[in-house]
Amino acid sequence: MNGKTALRALALSLVLALGAGAGSLLLGAGAAAGAEVKIDNFSFTPAKLEIAAGTTVTWVNRDDIPHTVVSNDHVLFKSKALDTDEKFSFSFTKAGKYPYFCSLHPKMTGEVIVR
Amino acid sequence: MAETRDDVLPQQSLLFDHHHDGVDRRGFLKCMAWAGTGTLCVLNGGILKSFSLSGMSEIERAAAKGEMSFVQISDSHLGFNKPANTDVAATLKAAIERINALPVAPEFILHTGDITHLSKPEEFDAADQILKGANTQQVFFVPGEHDMLNDDGKSYLDRYGKGTKGSGWRSFDHKGVHFIGLVNVVNLKAGGLGSLGRDQLEWLEDDVKHLPKSTPIVVFAHIPLWSVYPQWGWGTEDGAQALGYLKKFGSVTVLNGHIHQTMQKVEGNVTFHTAMSTAFPQPQPGKAESPGPMKVPAEQLRSVLGITDVTYVRGRHALAVVDSTLG
Repeated sequence: MNGKTALRALALSLVLALGAGAGSLLLGAGAAAGAEVKIDNFSFTPAKLEIAAGTTVTWVNRDDIPHTVVSNDHVLFKSKALDTDEKFSFSFTKAGKYPYFCSLHPKMTGEVIVR
Repeated sequence: MAETRDDVLPQQSLLFDHHHDGVDRRGFLKCMAWAGTGTLCVLNGGILKSFSLSGMSEIERAAAKGEMSFVQISDSHLGFNKPANTDVAATLKAAIERINALPVAPEFILHTGDITHLSKPEEFDAADQILKGANTQQVFFVPGEHDMLNDDGKSYLDRYGKGTKGSGWRSFDHKGVHFIGLVNVVNLKAGGLGSLGRDQLEWLEDDVKHLPKSTPIVVFAHIPLWSVYPQWGWGTEDGAQALGYLKKFGSVTVLNGHIHQTMQKVEGNVTFHTAMSTAFPQPQPGKAESPGPMKVPAEQLRSVLGITDVTYVRGRHALAVVDSTLG
């Protein structure tokens, strides 16, 4: 990713984060190697999360209904069903885009972008 | 003999004679849907009809006339204990009590899935224990997504999969009606809806291929086969293909759960009906941020677990609906 693209991504993520409240979030390079995605109201927040390689993402289910976190390829990561307040973590080591969804409610989708 | 005649007579003549009893009179399939308790269907030929449980005398007359009756219940979510209903065992028991109070015992129960909340053995055990109290011969299940959470459905299939194919689909005949239980809660794709998958569709096509078009068909599955509200995933992406295989039949009734509320529509010869949950209500499509459990004041819970009745006249496409509540 060149500087221009990164800047555009940052601008876009800010717009999304400010505008929708459920957009993407760009962690600063110096941020701790952990990020959280909240599952609530049948959606992932932020729906698009941008992180540095080596970051561990933790999903926490705040819904009254169980959800799962499954990479679209069904292979890279796949949580068990998370009941209320249960968590699932996965460490992203390689740059790339990682779309995922809830295999129980497949309309629930999200994406982790690793720089 | 009746079957043979059915095949050559025009549709309008098919109302009377698809029974094997030689009685040339109009029969009907009556369907009593209680939101919160279940759906009682009384078969007496080609008309699907149901009544409010509050109209007990009407039910009594209908059931007495029927040749066969069955009940649909759905979404009992054993194990759920959140504020929307902290005692789902009690409301399932209440549903069974209503079933046992029927003037004629239903021959079987169809459970359209989400028996449990988290697929735990103790939740399945609790459901089985309560269902044992039902005055009926047998319970047929199709799984909801909550019944196949962590083991690709193994624990569900170990318990209820006998005689089924694939992830638990099956068909059986009862008193001239062909029942088809479909599974649309496994192998779901990101961004998608409920899914039957190619194997099941092929099986279905083959399953109904040789049936006379006069055979009444009852399809039961967890997620609605029709597009109720795709934004919330309330539909089945290849449901239309399944229904395509059923086009030739004069009477098709589709019974679903999943959305915890009663909805119905008639399209051609197909009547769609969703049952309410025995556990907790969910909001109407688009009327809330998400389809999560709807919390209502405790004294109102049974009033939202109400009663819905459907009437379907085979070949005439007439539908009468009566909704009433338990509370």
